[in-house]
Amino acid sequence: MSDNDVLNVAIREGRGSGAARKLRASGQTPAVLYGHGEESVSLSVGAADLTSFVRRGQKLAKLAGAVSESALVRELQWDAMGNDILHVDFTRVNVGEMVETTVSVELRGEAPGVRVGGVVQHSLHEITIRCPVQNIPEKIVVSVGGLELGQSLTLAELELPEGGELVGDGGTIVVQCVEAAAEVDEEASVADGAEPEVIGRKESDGEEEA
Amino acid sequence: MAMMPKRVKHRKSQRGRIKGNASRGNRVVFGDFGLQALQGGWIKAQTIEAGRIAAQQYVRGEGRLYVRLFPHKSVTSTPLETRMGKGKGEPDFWAAVVKPGTVLYELGGVTEEQARVCFARLAHKMPIQVRLVRRRSA
Repeated sequence: MSDNDVLNVAIREGRGSGAARKLRASGQTPAVLYGHGEESVSLSVGAADLTSFVRRGQKLAKLAGAVSESALVRELQWDAMGNDILHVDFTRVNVGEMVETTVSVELRGEAPGVRVGGVVQHSLHEITIRCPVQNIPEKIVVSVGGLELGQSLTLAELELPEGGELVGDGGTIVVQCVEAAAEVDEEASVADGAEPEVIGRKESDGEEEA
Repeated sequence: MAMMPKRVKHRKSQRGRIKGNASRGNRVVFGDFGLQALQGGWIKAQTIEAGRIAAQQYVRGEGRLYVRLFPHKSVTSTPLETRMGKGKGEPDFWAAVVKPGTVLYELGGVTEEQARVCFARLAHKMPIQVRLVRRRSA
C-alpha cells in the first residue's frame, strides 16, 4: 500500500443536508464507514484527496486520522453535473478478504477487423468480480489486437487478477467486431406535417372537434 | 427526417418550466465520450437531426454515435396576423426538454481527439452551451 492510498479522515459531528453542505463548502466531503458488524462512523475526507484517489481508479484506501483501518470504497455519490463527489461510503475490509466489486474494462490495440470495414462494439464497460481485496485492479485491460470481423470476446476470456473469479454469466459478450451498419433513415416514411396517432381517439372524434 | 413520437396521449402539451439539474440521463452510459448540456432548454427535432448528421458524417465508418434525447413534447403556434383568442394553436414542431447535465449524444470506438473534433462540429448546431464529458470509471 503506497502513500497514495492513505486518506486522512476526521469524525463528522453535524448531521443532515445543511451540515453536509457547510462541510462541502469548507473543502471536505462527508463519508461513512461501516461493516464487519461494528458501529458505523460518520467521517469527513478532504475533497481534493478523495477526488484524486477516485480519478486514479483506486478502490482500497488506508484511512488515517480519526480511524486507522483499511476500507473499500463501496459507493460514490456525484453531483448532477458529474463534477464533484457529494458523499462516499467506505466498508471495513481485512487484507485477504474476498470482496465483490465492479471494475472497468478498457480496450487496447487496433482490431484487424476494422481494416476490412468492421466496427469494434464495446458492449460491457464494467464487470463484477470477486477477488481478494489487495488484488483489486484499477481496470481490466483487454487487447483487441486479434479481433477479426465477426469475432467477439466474452467475459470468460478476460484475464482476471490473482485469486479473482467472475460474477455472472461467462458467455456475456464484452467486445465484438461487427460489420458497420448501413445508415438507416428510420423516419423516411414519415411525411412532412404528419401527426402521431392519438391514443384512444377514433377518427370520427377528430372530425367532430374540427 | 426529424424524429417524432409514433403515438401520443394528447396532441398538445402545456409549456412547462425547466427547474433544477438532470438527475437521470446525466451519465455516459453507451459510449466512451458524451456531449453534456450545461444549460436547459428545448431542442427541436430538426436540431437533433442536424446534430446527428454533423456527427455521423465525421465518424462514418469508425466509432458509433448514440443519440440520447428524443423530442416528446409538441409545441404549438398560432399563425401570423391572427387575432387573439380562438383557442390554442396547432402543433408546430416537436422538441426534447433538456435540463442542465443531460447527456445529449455519446460516441464510442473513437479516440478522444476524434471525439473532441466531432463534438465541436455537433456543438455548433446546438442552441445551448455544451461540453465533452468522459465515461466515469467503475
